[in-house]
Amino acid sequence: MIYAFYIFAFIAIASAAGILFARRLFHAALMLLVCFLGVAGIYAVSFAEWVAVTQILVYAGGVVVIIIFGIMLTARITGRPTAVANSRWFSGTLLGLGAMGFLITLFVRGSFGNGVMPASDAKFTMVNRFGIELMTDYMLPFEGAGLLLLITLVGAAVIAATRNKNSIS
Amino acid sequence: MSPDADIAYWIVAASMIVLLAPLASGILSALIPVRYSWLVSLTASFMLLVAVAGAVVLVSNAGLHDTRHFSTAWFTLGGNEIAAGILVDKYAAVMVLVVTIVSFLVHLYSAGYMAGDASIRRYFVMLGFFTFTMLGIVLSDNLLILFMCWELVGFSSYMLIGHWMELPEAAQASRKAYMMNRIGDLGFIAGLMIVYRKAGTFDISILASHSLQGWETTAALCFFLAIAAKSAQFPLLTWLPDAMAGPTPVSALIHAATMVAAGVFLLGRIHFMFPPEALQVVTAAGLLTALTGAAAALGHFDIKKILAYSTVSQLGLMVTALGMGAKDAAMLHLLTHAFFKAGLFLAAGAIIHTLHQVQVSTGKTYDVQDIRNLGGLRKAMPVTFVVFVLCGAALSGIPMFSGFQSKEAILSHMLSGQGEWSLIAAFLFLLTAFLTIVYTFRLIWFVFIANEGRQWGNIPEVPFVMRFPMIVLGLASLWWIVSLNPFSFSGWFMTGRATGSATMISIAVVITALATSFLFVRKKPTPTGAPGILTNTFYLDNVFGALVTRPVGHLSSLCVRIDRRYIDGILHGAAYAQVTLAHIVGWIDKTIVDGIVNFVARLASWLGAFVRTFQSGNIQMYIFWAGMGLLLLTLYIVT
Amino acid sequence: MIPIENYLVLSATLFSIGLMIVVIKRNAIAVLLGLELMLNAANINLVAFNLAHPERLDGQMFAVFVIIVAACEAAVGLAIILQAYRVFHTAVPDSISTLKES
Repeated sequence: MIYAFYIFAFIAIASAAGILFARRLFHAALMLLVCFLGVAGIYAVSFAEWVAVTQILVYAGGVVVIIIFGIMLTARITGRPTAVANSRWFSGTLLGLGAMGFLITLFVRGSFGNGVMPASDAKFTMVNRFGIELMTDYMLPFEGAGLLLLITLVGAAVIAATRNKNSIS
Repeated sequence: MSPDADIAYWIVAASMIVLLAPLASGILSALIPVRYSWLVSLTASFMLLVAVAGAVVLVSNAGLHDTRHFSTAWFTLGGNEIAAGILVDKYAAVMVLVVTIVSFLVHLYSAGYMAGDASIRRYFVMLGFFTFTMLGIVLSDNLLILFMCWELVGFSSYMLIGHWMELPEAAQASRKAYMMNRIGDLGFIAGLMIVYRKAGTFDISILASHSLQGWETTAALCFFLAIAAKSAQFPLLTWLPDAMAGPTPVSALIHAATMVAAGVFLLGRIHFMFPPEALQVVTAAGLLTALTGAAAALGHFDIKKILAYSTVSQLGLMVTALGMGAKDAAMLHLLTHAFFKAGLFLAAGAIIHTLHQVQVSTGKTYDVQDIRNLGGLRKAMPVTFVVFVLCGAALSGIPMFSGFQSKEAILSHMLSGQGEWSLIAAFLFLLTAFLTIVYTFRLIWFVFIANEGRQWGNIPEVPFVMRFPMIVLGLASLWWIVSLNPFSFSGWFMTGRATGSATMISIAVVITALATSFLFVRKKPTPTGAPGILTNTFYLDNVFGALVTRPVGHLSSLCVRIDRRYIDGILHGAAYAQVTLAHIVGWIDKTIVDGIVNFVARLASWLGAFVRTFQSGNIQMYIFWAGMGLLLLTLYIVT
Repeated sequence: MIPIENYLVLSATLFSIGLMIVVIKRNAIAVLLGLELMLNAANINLVAFNLAHPERLDGQMFAVFVIIVAACEAAVGLAIILQAYRVFHTAVPDSISTLKES
């Protein structure tokens, strides 16, 4: 199990670094997809099957596709792939390494309870329990999330819609 | 089910119906499409009828002798549980009945009065909401919920006063009402804080047995500030006459049952929290208000303003009675006042409504609310006349009418009190009663009887839907609403015996006042201008300006004289010295001071350029700085 | 059993890389990629801490809701970027400076 974790963690970190160094935006988006899949693997070995599935469905399936759409729609008309220029290397690296060092020091110094293996329940699998919780204790946030998605759908459509008559300039 | 539990069940159910029916009426009015807005007046009136039925069930189950309290946990904040519930005692039960009945009649009347108004839906929405919030004040068992309803009453009155918001004076009046109430709400919040800090609860029935540990007077005065603003007590009374800019049925509701009654009702409900010193303040404010209002009513010519000032004055009487401890009598006066004042307003509204239509059909324009333009309406509008006289007689406290009995109850309590304080109060009370009779008589005379020969032509009476509420309220102004004996206030609401002297004195005052006003009217049949002090409400709006402006003016002219005589001489001498000095200073200035200034300027511009680099307009740099700041801050906190 | 420190170090690394992407990249869509990465890093922590309390599902539940909100954020963010692109003909935030003087 721990080897699986290390493999997935390596995939995630490597592809995240790949985004950082990618020259083309489209490649960066594909790297993000790999990174999401790696994180989904991490969830899967951490007894969070449902989160893993949601991660693959929503992130890998939804968000990345939207982002790729966005990349295609904002590409220059020349048809050349969008290159991403980098800038502010100094400040970015300073902030990133600072945050990483700081967070890791904090995590290593602090003591957090170790992970425990969930008690195996013959009747309910993890996903079953998840569904029951979602329909009982988390009913209101669940419905709220649905409402939020609807509002986002409408809002994104309204924002992105072309208004020929009153567009600025 | 035991009979007691049965009654409790009925009380809670009826309270819920009473509370929710007006709210449902409001919501329903909002939901009905614009095309069918005529439907609104039907549904709203029907829902209010349901509320009246609920109120009847509530009162018949709760009775007038027990206090019933139902409470349930609302939410928990830390370890403190805030409860919500209803508290039904004699006053609340009667108040529920009065509010629902008057509100129902006003809804019915509005169906006629507001017919054809473009925003009739908004009107009925706010009317239903107004009633709902007032009932919330009456029924709630703790000060927190009461405060919420209190605020909402203020909001809905703001909406209703400014219903015709395209008129500048309506917008102005609603803003004024809102601001004045804000001042009072400040007091309410302060009082709430004191109560919660010292007693640890908002529950009224628990508060009764808690001491506030030396903060009683402060808390009571804070609450009284809120009550004074809501019930238009001195000096926060000027918003109420201005509020006449709203539709007349709204005025009837505000004056009779909801807005201003809320203050008096709250004063009655938390009367136990008022120590004697606070009650003296209450009494003084009440008497001052009563006299101011009555005198101002005598000087005005606008029919609605006269009625508004009479409300101010009557509220002053109620507050005075509460200040003297006559809770029963004050509440009885609140009850009788609700009916006859609503009747007066509805009758006045009928006159205004009819004359507006006459104006439209004949094309003449004059101010229909100015009583000098009216007169001789007795023949033309007999029903309105009769209702106006009935309610006006009740307002004046003429025997055989309800106002007589409630005023007698207050007076008896005052006369039976000890010390010269209560005698002074009784004297001022009688003076107010005297003035009340005079201005009511004057009002009726000018509107209905003067200019007998004036030809109004064929004026139609108002439609039945408006006449019916007026007739009901007119009948409710008679003596039987209090007790079957027209000379005794001892009836279903309160018991007690009038001291003989109180009855005699009241009747004597009535007769003198009637005689005086009759002579007054006979002698000067044509109205002339009244003294400005009355039409301007004792210049209450100007008085603050005058208090500050005049002393400042005196001070400044004194300063000018001193300046001319002494200071100028010194100045001339000093001027020469200064010129010499100036040359020296000039040299220093050029070389040293300018140098420093230039250096500072350069420094500032350099600093500015440096700081400008942070504000690069570059989002990602902002993120960088924010991240670095957060990092350093956490580092500082952790280590 | 996987020690919890592993999760924390992984999430810290991903978070920092995300932060770097947000600051360094010049294209608005790339910035959005970095944001998504940072949200994922936070989610890993939520799932990891949930392991210490297997009888409850609060952490995973939160992770799922974070995913939902992140999806919404991506959609709205891209809509805004598209609209900005239509108006300014560029997706580089540095060149969009109508509110800045000169």
